[in-house]
Amino acid sequence: MKILSLAKKEAYDILNNRIYLLVVFVQIFIVLGAFGLALVSSIATDPELLDQFQVNTEFKVGLSEELEDSPLAHYLKDENLNLIYFKSPQDARASVGSEVIAAVDIKPSTQNISVEIDTTSIFYPVISQKINQALNNYNQAVKLQNSGLNETEIKKVENPINVTEIKINENDKADIALDNPYFVEIMYGFIVPFILLLPFFLASNIVTDSIVGERERKTFEVLLMTPLTSFMVVLGKIIPILLFSLIQSVAWIFLLNFLRVPIYNPFIIFTLIFFIGLGFIGVGVILSMLVDSTKEANSAITLVLVFATFILFVPLFVNIPYLNAILNLIPTVLIVKISSSPHIDPGLILEFIPTILLSLIIFAVAVKYFKHERAIRL
Amino acid sequence: MHSLVITKWEFKNTLSSKKFITIFLLQVSILILMIIFFNSFMGNIEPGKNVALTPSLTGFASIDVVDNENLFEKQLNPDILKINRMNYSIAYNRFKNNKTTGLLIVPSDALEKIDRYETLNLSLFVNYNDPKRSVVKSEVDSASKSLSSIITNEWLKEISPENLTQPSVEQTEQGEPLPLQIINKVMIAILLFLPLFLFGNMVIDSIVGEKERKTAEILMAMPLSPSNIILGKSLAIIITIAFQVILWMIILLSAGFNIKNAILVYLLVILTSIPIIGITSMIAAYCKNYKEAGIGISFIYIGIVGFLVVPALAYLSGSTRASTISPMTLVMKLFSGETISTTDLVIPILIIIVVSLISYSISIQLFKRDDVVFGPRPSLFRLFFEFIGILSLIKYIKSKIL
Repeated sequence: MKILSLAKKEAYDILNNRIYLLVVFVQIFIVLGAFGLALVSSIATDPELLDQFQVNTEFKVGLSEELEDSPLAHYLKDENLNLIYFKSPQDARASVGSEVIAAVDIKPSTQNISVEIDTTSIFYPVISQKINQALNNYNQAVKLQNSGLNETEIKKVENPINVTEIKINENDKADIALDNPYFVEIMYGFIVPFILLLPFFLASNIVTDSIVGERERKTFEVLLMTPLTSFMVVLGKIIPILLFSLIQSVAWIFLLNFLRVPIYNPFIIFTLIFFIGLGFIGVGVILSMLVDSTKEANSAITLVLVFATFILFVPLFVNIPYLNAILNLIPTVLIVKISSSPHIDPGLILEFIPTILLSLIIFAVAVKYFKHERAIRL
Repeated sequence: MHSLVITKWEFKNTLSSKKFITIFLLQVSILILMIIFFNSFMGNIEPGKNVALTPSLTGFASIDVVDNENLFEKQLNPDILKINRMNYSIAYNRFKNNKTTGLLIVPSDALEKIDRYETLNLSLFVNYNDPKRSVVKSEVDSASKSLSSIITNEWLKEISPENLTQPSVEQTEQGEPLPLQIINKVMIAILLFLPLFLFGNMVIDSIVGEKERKTAEILMAMPLSPSNIILGKSLAIIITIAFQVILWMIILLSAGFNIKNAILVYLLVILTSIPIIGITSMIAAYCKNYKEAGIGISFIYIGIVGFLVVPALAYLSGSTRASTISPMTLVMKLFSGETISTTDLVIPILIIIVVSLISYSISIQLFKRDDVVFGPRPSLFRLFFEFIGILSLIKYIKSKIL
């Protein structure tokens, strides 16, 4: 009951703080911006999607006029490249980086092909892929022509593998905003854990603000004189902050589902982020005990959050085989696995243990430090 | 001269603060962590391959492969797929129980079929209930293309060994790929400019702190002008930044980062810190407390970072006209060893000078006003109207009418 009164007061403070509400509002733009960026970059790196959106006018490839209507030009055109003809191969090459993104030429004596490509272009990955495909097809055709095979044999040799796709659960298919590998990897592999943990970065700030703020306003001593134990004071302060953060994370899960990025196993994720949140808030409490002012608390929490960002997000971008066993236990890696899989292996829950233990240890240290602080102050 | 007294005093205070030293060391450790991350990321980039800024999650999606002759499995990318090779009954049960996203079945007599020049018919079961289906399909498609090419070449070698000549392809690349440029240039530029944004709290402490601690009154009573106070305090922070940037540059150079024209780069970064500290002083001079100033600089710094980074990114993507406005673009060009034109040099330096003059003048003017320093503080609108002369005009009209 006593804890509830304190928790209510803290919740009231949070909900009446215009800055916190503004930060929540800013997070909506972060979620939408990250989603939009992932969508646009996925389209920009997918040749098929770019063809669908008909942006191939930008895929300018220079050829000499002699190659007009040549088989090579046909293979390049088949890849939806915009062919621009120049008087000579030298002119085409000189235009790379300005008028065209790449220039292709065949040496008449050897029939060898030369490609000059501007790698600084934003469309370089797509154009390079398309030119490679066209040249592979062209080379294969030349090779097959030289082999003396008839047309039926050529067709057979051209396609030695035939993969038939059998769609299972098509009626119950995952409704994803863009069915593209890059989009799926960047959304689930980085943006989802980033968005779900965003509120906890704010939570650490609220904790330091709440505890150090009390001290600065000289109300901390009054609070400690109330008939509440240190544990009750810590609990009363962190419950509304933890709830405030968890509600935001749940809201972002709903928003992502609305944006057609389905988040699977929300209850399991909720449990995991509850403990992550406890750890973040615990760190905030410990820091509050170590600093003297809001200004110091802000500097310290910024640095701690930078470290936390490294520990939580760098494992998503690096591949260190000998550290895989440890990196797989990092909470963000667990969030990736859980949020993207409709069915998870129950054994995965065991991998939560290090996160839960660490958070509980941080929380226990926070309570102990809080008691110690109380003894010193009084 | 009076400014230098303040500078000396502030600088001495900063260096004698244990907390500052701790924060400074923590910042250095962050830099070292960033270097480790950067080197690890660059180490994973294979030469000649396209660079994509995607997460490198091992076993992100999973596929079971029924491939008795181990023909297809080795073509699949184990960096993205968790690949399990097993017999059909176990694999099918696993797939049915949603243990994997995909199941690929390669005919048991695949090698015999290849020997007989027969088409290999593979079955790929894809669970559409799983959002990672596109990852599995794309990886199987790439693996199938690469295996097809190997088989076709083998067949052609056997069918017609004498006619295997094919045109060779020689590819010349111009410039550095965009993602690599972003990683390389932007990363170094961000590391160089980062210290400029780490000292906002010091500026706030130095100016707002005087108001909160009620020491501003004593300071104002001393034989020092507001310009001495603002410029002296700002200079102390610019000197601290200069020390930090030089240390960071030494660490970066020792870690093997290629920074050409290091002295010019250093000078330009320090020069850029002058208007940033000026803008921060302006906010600090107006704000009543740490909290208000903290929010103020958070928003303003987002704008400054945008002003520095967006033109720099535009420069990397080929747009040259607008990109010259940012000092970060100039720094990038300098450390990459590019030729610098007069426009490249004049525009950012002119912006630095103009913004510095405006921001420091406003800071000094604000600090001169008793109502801003001691209260009741006038609103921003009132200050703005006063600045453009509307209030004087109203006063003049009123006096004429009355």
